[in-house]
Amino acid sequence: MNQFVLQQGNSKELRPFPHILELGLRKNISIQLDSFRVSSAGGIRIYNVMEGKFEWCINHQHHVLYPGDVALILPDQAFGGENGVLGIGSFAWLHLSIQKLESGEIVTGKWSNLSENESLAIGKILQLNASPVLLKFNEAGRILKSIQTELFSQEIGYHASVNHLIDELFIQITRHLTRQSNPGRDFPKTFMNLEQTLRRNLSHQWTVEEMAALVGLGTTLFNEKVKSYSGFSPINYLINIRISEAIKLLKRPGISLTDIALDTGFYSSQHFSTTFKKLTGYTPSEFRKNHLNEK
Amino acid sequence: MKSIITIELGTNAVRVFAFDLEGNVIGSLKCYCPTFHTEPDHSEQDPEQIFITMLYVLKNLLNEKIHPKKYKVECICFSSSMHSVLAVDKNGNPLGNAITWADNRANKEAQELKNSTLGKNIYNATGTPLHPMSPLTKISWFKNSDKERFQQTAKFLSIKSYIIQQLTGECLIDYSIASATGLLNIHTIEWEKDALDFAGITTDMLPDLTPVFATAGKLKKAYQISLGLSADTKIIVGSSDGCMAILGDGVKEEGRATITIEDSGAVRVMGGKVLQDERRRFFNYLLTENCYVSGGPTNNGGVVFDWFTRQFGDFKNPFDIDQSMEELIAEASKVPVGSDGLLFLPYLLGERAPIWNANARGMYFGLNIKHERTHFVRATIEGILYEIFSIGKTLEEHRNIKSLSINGSFGTIPFCTQMIADMFNKPVRLRSNFHSVSFGAFLVAATEMGIYKSLDEAALKVYLPEEYKPQKENHSIYAGYFSVFEKLSVGLSDQFEAIAELQHKHSTTLKKEAALVYK
Repeated sequence: MNQFVLQQGNSKELRPFPHILELGLRKNISIQLDSFRVSSAGGIRIYNVMEGKFEWCINHQHHVLYPGDVALILPDQAFGGENGVLGIGSFAWLHLSIQKLESGEIVTGKWSNLSENESLAIGKILQLNASPVLLKFNEAGRILKSIQTELFSQEIGYHASVNHLIDELFIQITRHLTRQSNPGRDFPKTFMNLEQTLRRNLSHQWTVEEMAALVGLGTTLFNEKVKSYSGFSPINYLINIRISEAIKLLKRPGISLTDIALDTGFYSSQHFSTTFKKLTGYTPSEFRKNHLNEK
Repeated sequence: MKSIITIELGTNAVRVFAFDLEGNVIGSLKCYCPTFHTEPDHSEQDPEQIFITMLYVLKNLLNEKIHPKKYKVECICFSSSMHSVLAVDKNGNPLGNAITWADNRANKEAQELKNSTLGKNIYNATGTPLHPMSPLTKISWFKNSDKERFQQTAKFLSIKSYIIQQLTGECLIDYSIASATGLLNIHTIEWEKDALDFAGITTDMLPDLTPVFATAGKLKKAYQISLGLSADTKIIVGSSDGCMAILGDGVKEEGRATITIEDSGAVRVMGGKVLQDERRRFFNYLLTENCYVSGGPTNNGGVVFDWFTRQFGDFKNPFDIDQSMEELIAEASKVPVGSDGLLFLPYLLGERAPIWNANARGMYFGLNIKHERTHFVRATIEGILYEIFSIGKTLEEHRNIKSLSINGSFGTIPFCTQMIADMFNKPVRLRSNFHSVSFGAFLVAATEMGIYKSLDEAALKVYLPEEYKPQKENHSIYAGYFSVFEKLSVGLSDQFEAIAELQHKHSTTLKKEAALVYK
């Protein structure tokens, strides 16, 4: 396979795909000093190591990548070789522009066939992920290669096929990430991680699909596991955390009921009030009154 | 028809059982409630989450099993894990999370007491081992290391006191939970002055002391309505999980001991006298006046086999630990008794009774070239149970134990129960699918209602049908290996200290995990 770089604006192959900023393959046969500097860019960058060994700096952390490994660089994260050095080996990469919502969430663009919910869930998982390196993820190399072949040969249907392959890449990355962080042995720990993620993002309108994807399970098995482990359905567990947090906020004067409702993930103060009363027997304002004037 | 509800507030779940007045289970539900480890030594629970979980479980059980069948709930009786501390302000609102028994932040305070005459006197008065688990040392930690919170604190509660207060408005602590705080004189049943001084508090900063049978006022109106319970439903404060577990197995007299093995474990006896141990290895908690539950706790029960399974189990199905565990136990059962001389010290979490050494660590010993993978499986289980046996053996220095009962999810695995019978060389009784803690709470409630004249009479009601008989030839093999196990546990103390110190110094994962949580 030969080296190449396609760039948006310079390469006619990319004209039908404004979301693809860059696609390339590089073979480096000797150590290059000062040739791979750390820089940030908008959009998502995906680097797949094919041969050799690279020491890269991703989001200010040092990582060593071996063949089959993939680096995932989120929008505005810094990325480059340690001290600008590029080691020996070869790698392929894809640089994609990505849509950033006002809320800060990232979603795939209009070109994608992913449903709105799935796209949101994938974006959420990529953003929550703590480790930017996917180990032994050969699937990525295969997909990048197919994208390249489609772009160069331009057979009938290639336009749809390229976009389809990029969707596929996002799906596989997400699945690989969640499996990598949840190796399927320690459900208590996995569930605890999920709980902490939910608590840190309590105002987010979580769906079961998103929670299941975070844990690396399909929704059916996820529902079953959560139910048998915790006794709650995933949504009831989430409501349970929301109400627990709301109780704490209600016991503090000076935060409005609407703010409490929204901070804890209820979509309106009405929704908050009904759910709260159903579980505790009190409306939030009654509950607050009782606890602020007790003594 | 009348019914009794029991609620157990544990460190990883809230369990609710409904019984008819005969003690038959009408229904039960359990929901998970997490423990947070925000720092390596910390172990906390969210009091509001426990409260909401408790309401959720209770409401669901009532709506599914009690109301449709027109049962009338006569009373609700509580039990909870011991040693929890929750600081609340003058309005009764929590100042942060509750700290559980497993929290070790008060290690320094515990060490200080352990090496002093004051500590010795406090132990003799309170019956609670001088250990960071005890609220005595935890409150002292607040005083020394979290001064701001200490200043704002109006009262230090137990989790159960808090939950009951939310339901009824009464702020109470029963004798059992109080006797596990390290602050209560178990001989006079009054708060112990020396201990209060060490903690830096006065009696008005603690809940009111009551017997386990005490009624804690009426359910607040809103809960009567939302739960569908009448105003005259009795709320009984109840006891601790430890005391309930032995009572629930029907042990009220001497000559019998109860073994509980869940994640952690304990061996307990009951009697009219406190166990006086020169080496202060046991706890002595109060069930009622002049009735003491004594024994020793271990950190390393089923949790150690969980660990082993996660590392070495098959996990053909993701997250299916039960299946993987069953396969491992099947493998272990094919290995000869004594694992051909492979010994395992199970001290992965440090150890409490009988060696009381937080620095203790795990070890496989006696490995030779013929040992195979399956030997490790069996040795691991044997090691966990040798530790249980070592607690039992030290108890036998004070009490004559003729027979045993066993409860808890790990202990009641038939393979483990037989091994216990063989190691102790005593018959072991149990009832499968039986929840001793909840049944103990039922007995307390039923006695309070006058169904039984006394707890002694109530305890006679318990019948444990299954019996495991000891096998003599197995016992002699275990006995031989145990003497080595025992010597290693004590003899390695210097090496334990050295390795623990090095682990602490070089530990990266602990720090990393803590940092992740803090983000």
